Amino acid sequence: MTTHRVSAFLAPRRRLQVAGLLTAPVAWLGLVYVVALAALLITAFWTVDGLTGQVQIQWTTENVVEVFTEALYRTVTLRTLGIAAAVTVIDVIVAIPVAFFMAKVANPRARHLLVIAVLAPLWASYLVKVYAWRALLSADGLIGWAGAPLGLDTPGYGIAGVILTLSYLWLPYVIMPIYAGFDRVPDRLLEASADLGARGGVTLMAVVMPMIKPAIIAGSIFAFCLSLGDYITVGIVGGTTQMLGNLVYTNVGAANNLPLAAAISLIPIGIIFLYLAAVRRTGALRSL
Amino acid sequence: MPTAIRLRGLHKRFGETVAVADLDLDIEAGEFFSMLGPSGSGKTTVLRAIAGFEQPTSGTVELFGKDVTSLPPFERPVNTVFQDYALFPHMSVIANVEYGLRVAGTPRNARRARAEEALAAVQLAGLEDRQPHELSGGQRQRVALARAIVLRPDALLLDEPLGALDLKLREQMQVELKQLQRSLGITFVFVTHDQDEALTLSDRVAVFDAGRVVQLGTPREVYDRPANSFVASFVGSSTLLEPPVAKAFGLADHLMAVRPERVSLGAPDGVPGTIAEVIYTGPEHRIVIDLDGLDTRITALEPNIGANAERTRGDRVTVSIDPADATSLEATASS
Repeated sequence: MTTHRVSAFLAPRRRLQVAGLLTAPVAWLGLVYVVALAALLITAFWTVDGLTGQVQIQWTTENVVEVFTEALYRTVTLRTLGIAAAVTVIDVIVAIPVAFFMAKVANPRARHLLVIAVLAPLWASYLVKVYAWRALLSADGLIGWAGAPLGLDTPGYGIAGVILTLSYLWLPYVIMPIYAGFDRVPDRLLEASADLGARGGVTLMAVVMPMIKPAIIAGSIFAFCLSLGDYITVGIVGGTTQMLGNLVYTNVGAANNLPLAAAISLIPIGIIFLYLAAVRRTGALRSL
Repeated sequence: MPTAIRLRGLHKRFGETVAVADLDLDIEAGEFFSMLGPSGSGKTTVLRAIAGFEQPTSGTVELFGKDVTSLPPFERPVNTVFQDYALFPHMSVIANVEYGLRVAGTPRNARRARAEEALAAVQLAGLEDRQPHELSGGQRQRVALARAIVLRPDALLLDEPLGALDLKLREQMQVELKQLQRSLGITFVFVTHDQDEALTLSDRVAVFDAGRVVQLGTPREVYDRPANSFVASFVGSSTLLEPPVAKAFGLADHLMAVRPERVSLGAPDGVPGTIAEVIYTGPEHRIVIDLDGLDTRITALEPNIGANAERTRGDRVTVSIDPADATSLEATASS
């Protein structure tokens, strides 16, 4: 009876319904994203007491100036950008043919199995996968052993190892949106293109690629942003390589300099904003 | 007339299902040829085999004397208008129409001129820069048509192109299609499940049932002389007369079919019956009569001229059929 009264009360009040449905998620998003980001931004302008190690609310631009002028940060930023860009390019190049095969060639049964095969690694622990790569990349590991007859050696622990491992980790996140993109291209359009005289390659470039461009960009956002913020993989397979994530982590932990960590984290945040702005200009975000 | 499309022994199986069974068909150059049948009767598969989207299990497809069975769609001199139009969503109207010319390497100015000409032919001049999603269904249909005719194909294949349009627009497009076919002078192969459309537009009609052509002829032949009971009931409506009923009307002693508009009421020597139903359809009345002692019903159509408006349920009438108006289905009863 009470439920009925509540329904009867809410039925003509659309705004109240919407408010009831959205309040919790919007509050959550507001708390997690906006407030946390704002707090980070503010912390970057605070200082640490050199003696006690306590964060003091004393306004200074010192941290930010240091991050944007010192050679160390420039080098690590460029290295991190290079790694993220390489991972993104590798993942997109690998994902396009896999996604195409899944969406347009495989029969429904094979497609189902492939989707599971692509997603299965996501169900395994991140650390397990990275340590597996550590084993693969080690001096007497599988990669060195398999490559030996071809005169190849393992890249070992360093930038190449980080790129390989990150490419492996983020590949499912790149395949799935591109697969969905291919899946949304109706077979009819491929037929229409062939009917109008286009060979397979022309159809791919003139019809399919423009249609899956948003999906490729969506996939690249995953690979790029996840790589940009990673600090665990580089610690395990990166040898002495440092990425921005490491610097943030070190300053939060060992160095106990939260304001400097916050200032460093402004770099990847800024890069991601620039990347999203560039993507937005292509118009790809609208069709996501 | 030379043969535009020649199919020999065309056979297509999908797994266990036979979609097209050993089909032989000749379509003449310049004719408006319709393939009419219910869904699943194989007509679309035949069209797709002609376009090259479907590889036949066996048999050959010849276009203008050349065997194209193993050629891919992009090497066949035919173009297709798809049921759902299949316009490229990321291209403007003019880019869609120019696509085939662009792929063929036609210089920019020439292809722009030809695309505009094709758009004018389908009365879409002025919409060049629209995107497909900004167009109505009828306009998209016209773009699909322009995109196909701009390449000046030897034959145009149309797969239920009017299926998604509402009745008024469909009737208008029928007239335009017919005019377009006359002015272009090329072969149109038209797939439809709408018998009105097939009869209105075609020079010849092939009626499909279960992967076979059950009748091939002019619209008049198919309508007036249906080859079997399937054609009689699928193309227009017919009353099937079982042998005793046919005999009571003074016709032959086997299965016959008669069109409702050929059944006349009121002749003194007719078969007596009682009107079971009078259905008003606007231009005519559909009158269903229970025939005395025959345990069967027959439908008659009478034009709405006012005089027969007084017929009502329960009235007694006599029913007669001119022997020339009934079709014998004896020979084909088994096919």
